[in-house]
Amino acid sequence: MKTFVALVKREVLDGKNGYLRVPMILAGLTVALVVLSSLGFGNMLYFDGMEHEGIQNLADAMNQAKAREPDEFSAAITIGYWAMSVLAWIALPFVIFFSLLGALYEERRDRSILFWKSMPVSDWQEVLAKFFAPLVVAPLAFLGVAVAAQLLIALFLSILMVFQGGPVMDLWPLGLMIASWFSVLSHYLVSMIWALPLLAWVLFVSAYASRMPFLWAILPPFIIMVVEEIFLDSSIIARWVGTHLGGWQDGAFRHISDDFNGPRELLTAIVNGMQWHSVSYSLTNPQFWLGIVIAGGFLWGAVELRKRAV
Amino acid sequence: MTGQTNNAPVVEAKGLAKHFGNFTALKGATFTIPLGRIVGVIGANGAGKTTMLNAVLGLSSYEGELRVLGRDPSKERPALMQDICFISDVATLPKWMKVVEVLDFVESVHPKFDRAKAMNFLSRTKVPQERKVRALSKGMTVQLHLAVVMSIDAKLLVLDEPTLGLDIIFRKQFYQSLLEEYFDEDRTVIITTHQVEEVEHILSDVMFIKDGEIVLEADMDELTQKFIEVMVAPGKEEEAMALGPITKGATFGKTTCVYKNIDRETLAKLGETRRLGLADIFVATMTGEGQ
Repeated sequence: MKTFVALVKREVLDGKNGYLRVPMILAGLTVALVVLSSLGFGNMLYFDGMEHEGIQNLADAMNQAKAREPDEFSAAITIGYWAMSVLAWIALPFVIFFSLLGALYEERRDRSILFWKSMPVSDWQEVLAKFFAPLVVAPLAFLGVAVAAQLLIALFLSILMVFQGGPVMDLWPLGLMIASWFSVLSHYLVSMIWALPLLAWVLFVSAYASRMPFLWAILPPFIIMVVEEIFLDSSIIARWVGTHLGGWQDGAFRHISDDFNGPRELLTAIVNGMQWHSVSYSLTNPQFWLGIVIAGGFLWGAVELRKRAV
Repeated sequence: MTGQTNNAPVVEAKGLAKHFGNFTALKGATFTIPLGRIVGVIGANGAGKTTMLNAVLGLSSYEGELRVLGRDPSKERPALMQDICFISDVATLPKWMKVVEVLDFVESVHPKFDRAKAMNFLSRTKVPQERKVRALSKGMTVQLHLAVVMSIDAKLLVLDEPTLGLDIIFRKQFYQSLLEEYFDEDRTVIITTHQVEEVEHILSDVMFIKDGEIVLEADMDELTQKFIEVMVAPGKEEEAMALGPITKGATFGKTTCVYKNIDRETLAKLGETRRLGLADIFVATMTGEGQ
C-alpha cells in the first residue's frame, strides 16, 4: 500500500502540468472573466444609455430575480456557479487520454523503465498506479480546482453585493453547492467505469507501441469500424464505443423528462434522480459489466508487456 | 537462514542462452558467482555482456537454468530487487524528477535504502538537490545514481559501465569508496567496463565473454600469475623463442615476450620479468594466442 501511494504520488508529480496547472490556468481565466464581466455589468448598460427596469448594476438584477422567483433563486445560483466554472473541466478528457497514452510509453522511450525496474516494485503495481492516477487523481484535482473557482466567484460576488446592496446571503446556497459537487463526482465515476475498456485500451497501446502511440490508439479501432461498415454494412463496434464514451446516458436517463420547469427542477433531477438512474441502469446492464471484463483483459496485457519491456 | 544463504552462490547459471530471432546473443553460458566477490565481466561490444546481465536481473527472458540468490529472476524480479541493485549502461534516472524527488521515491519504495548514507555520498559531490535530473551534467547524473545504489543494503550490485562519462578523479574516488565503504564479504559486485586498467586492482574474479560464450572464468590472482612478460636480455633471444612465447614485441630496442604457464624462475634467467596487465591478458586471450 505504501508503495502504491508512492507510485501514484510519482505519477502526479510527473503529470502535475496536466493535473494541476491546466485546470488552474483555466479556472483562473474563468474567475477573471467573471470578475471583469460583473464589474462591467452596470457600466455596459450605462454606456448603452438605457435603463432597463431600473437595473443599474448586478445587485439590482439579482434583487429583481430573487423577488420574481424566490424559490428558484438558490438553484439558479448553484447552476450559475457551475456554468461559470465549467471551462476548467474542458481539458480533463484530454489530460486523461494523453496521460494514459504516455504512461508506459515514455518510460520505455527515455529508458527510465530500467530505473523503475531496479526497484522492488511489481509490474502490476506500476500499471495500476499509472491507470489510477489519471482516472481518479486527475478528476479529483480538477474538481478541487473547480470548487475553489466557485468559492472564489461566490466570494467576489458577495463583496460586490455588499457594495452594490444586493442579496449577499443568497449567494451562498452551500447545501446545494456541496450536493452538486458530489453529484458531479459520482456521475463522473460512473462515466469512467463505463469508459474503462476504452481507457484500458489506451494504456495497453502505451505499453505496446514502439513509436507513434497516438496513431496506434486511434487508427486500429477506426479501421475496424470502417471495415465493418463497408463489408458488413453495420456499425456495431462504433455504437459500442459510443455507448461506452457516454452514449449509455441515453438509456439511463430516458425516463427522465428533459423538459425542466425552472432551475430548481433541473438541479433536483441532477442531484437526486439522475444518480439513482445511472447507477441502477449501469449495474443491471450486461454491456457495463462486459466492459469491465474487457478492461481487465487490456490491463493484464499491459502488465505482461511491461514485464518483458526493457 | 543466514548460514544457508551465505554459502549458496549468488548467481548460478547452467546453459544460459538467449536468441533474438536468428541471432544468438548468448550460447549456453555456465558459470557460478559466489558471495563476497568482485567480478569483472569483460568483452568487446556486442559480446553478450548486457544480455547476460539482463537475464540475471530479470529484465529479459532466457533459456537454460538460472538462479539468482536462490530465485528465478524471470518470475521473481520484484522480490529479487530487494537484494539486487543495478546501474545499466545508459542513463536511466527519470529526467523530469528533481534530485530530492528521486531520493524521496527510492526511500518510499525501497525498504533497504538508507537516505542518510545517500546524502553523505552526495555531499561529497556538487550535485544540487533542487535541480532536475535533466539539468544535471552527465557526470552528476552518474554520481547521483551511484549514491542511490551504494546506499541500498543489497547483496548483489551490478554495474554496467558505471563510470562512463565521469572524469578520472571521480572514477578513482568511486572505485575507492566502492571498495572501502560498500564492499564486504556479504556482498557481491559484478562490473562490466571498457576501462579495464581502472578496475583490475579491485577485482577478485574475471570473466571473459566472446561472441556469446564465456571463454575464461578465473580467479584474478591465479590469472595474473599465469601470464608473465619478459624483457629479454641481449643475447638470450634464441633461448627466449625456444620457450614458445604467446606474443612477441620490441620496446627500446629490446625484445619483450609474453609467456603463459611457464615457471617464473625459468623466465627470470632470460631477463627482467613483470606481471601482465588484465587488458593485455584479455587481448592475448581474445586473439586466440593465449589458448
